[in-house]
Amino acid sequence: MSHGSVKTCLQCATCSLVSGCLLRALKYLSRKDSRIRAEAKNWPQGKTLRLEVPGAAGFTITGTKDGFQKLPKDTQGDVTIRFKSPADAFKVFTGQLSVAGAYAQHKFVLRGDMGLAMPFVRCIDLVEGYLFPSFWAKRLLKRLPKKEVCAARVYQAVLLGR
Amino acid sequence: MGAYYEFKLPGKILSGAEALEHIPHELNTLGAHRPLLLSDQGLEKVGSVKILLGALAQGGMTSVETFCQVPPDSSVQVVNQVAALYRQLGCDALIALGGGSVIDTAKGVGMVLAQAGHDLLESAGCEVLPRGEHVPFVAVPTTAGTGSEATIVSVIANHETKVKMEFISYHLLPDVAVLDPRMTETLPPRITASTGFDALVHAIEAATCLQRNPVSDAFAEKAMGQIVRALPVAVREGKNRKARMVMANGSLLAGAAFSNSMVGLVHAIGHALGGVCRVAHGDAMTILLPAVMKYNLPVCRDRYGELLLHLAGPEVYAQTPADQRAEKTIEFLTKLRRELADLCGLPTCLQDTGKVNRSDFDAVAKKALNDGAIVVNPAQADYPDIIAILEEVWS
Repeated sequence: MSHGSVKTCLQCATCSLVSGCLLRALKYLSRKDSRIRAEAKNWPQGKTLRLEVPGAAGFTITGTKDGFQKLPKDTQGDVTIRFKSPADAFKVFTGQLSVAGAYAQHKFVLRGDMGLAMPFVRCIDLVEGYLFPSFWAKRLLKRLPKKEVCAARVYQAVLLGR
Repeated sequence: MGAYYEFKLPGKILSGAEALEHIPHELNTLGAHRPLLLSDQGLEKVGSVKILLGALAQGGMTSVETFCQVPPDSSVQVVNQVAALYRQLGCDALIALGGGSVIDTAKGVGMVLAQAGHDLLESAGCEVLPRGEHVPFVAVPTTAGTGSEATIVSVIANHETKVKMEFISYHLLPDVAVLDPRMTETLPPRITASTGFDALVHAIEAATCLQRNPVSDAFAEKAMGQIVRALPVAVREGKNRKARMVMANGSLLAGAAFSNSMVGLVHAIGHALGGVCRVAHGDAMTILLPAVMKYNLPVCRDRYGELLLHLAGPEVYAQTPADQRAEKTIEFLTKLRRELADLCGLPTCLQDTGKVNRSDFDAVAKKALNDGAIVVNPAQADYPDIIAILEEVWS
């Protein structure tokens, strides 16, 4: 196996792992954080968003009054965000690049109505504010969001899958 | 500035006197012989359509179909209708003669045809479309504002959702952009000012947002210098062909810049004001620019200071202390806006438009938050920030 393909495999594995964590955090916070709860509640009824990483596990979600819900893995997205390469997704998932930075640097493409992707982008910014330490999140986000929940509880939810 | 960027140059540019007469040659080289000309009723009335048809006939292109019913705020429905007409008439190219609405409509039609589809909404997204079938496309702008002849962006209203939808694809770029002074000289002063200010905002936002890059900076900086010098002249002396051409070129340069670096908060709120309250796009840009620049100032201070050189020139730049240049830039633009308002009644606050109520602010702010342009704005803008900006520009 070449060095390049080992690196890509590791990046894909990391992306699969982190996207799972991200989703758990998002689901948890959509019950506990008023801003994310509001985004889930105001989500257009029945609309779905899919996040895809080439070679890694993606997910499809929808928003409801009870928070964000994960849908079966083969569910199509009304809007789909697809990273152009595992390396691009790796940078975002490991906090080396913000979502805004990834957009500005053409790291992903978007199929569907961009207006539907925007609430998700706002939620991811908030989730990153919880998951990354403040000194790191400050580098990533234009403005550090106020935490409404203790970050330790979010980590607990991510690790225990609650 | 990001560590990585992408840039696509505009298509072939025909700029100057009698540029229209070269269109038949360009269409022939693109293999097209039966174009569908899209325009609007106003341009048909003032004779611009006739001038273009004459130029096409002179070059031996007589088999031209026309559709001059594109409305000012074109919609998904109009795009789908025109795509069906194109197929029905057996056309093989698109010519767009008009402002942003007409050119963006033609882009939408091109997208539907290239994807062999029937509904524009199937093509919604950002950088996601494959090229599909090539539909030769010539854009002839009649305003110096949108820069749409040089952009990969098409903004088309979805009347059902009251949203102006953005379609972004490198395949939207016209093959040929034609800048002919005859096409803008009949533009009334008020519209010249409003559309020209839109072009200026394209240049300023392109030069300051997160997606800016060295190539887009070059286009944007050149554009803003040209626009601030030519715009007051074009407003005062509509028949001044030199000023009209400088504006047309400035608008194209600004279009090429923002096409690759995108725009920011001025456009996010402006699109929302257009969608909710039907405020003319250029008017919204004029009203919002200084307030949004003040909002972005804490994170854009250095860059705004640099822009003073391109806007006000080397004398003013050199005479202004470095730590005051950013404020001077905003002051310069506010004065330019005042000058244009005095010349032709350009609105400088929302109340002046007569189209907005303060009760609309909530809907406008919510729509602005869902506009893609807000992502690349250098400063974070949340709901209360947008409401505060709207309050500031209210009166």
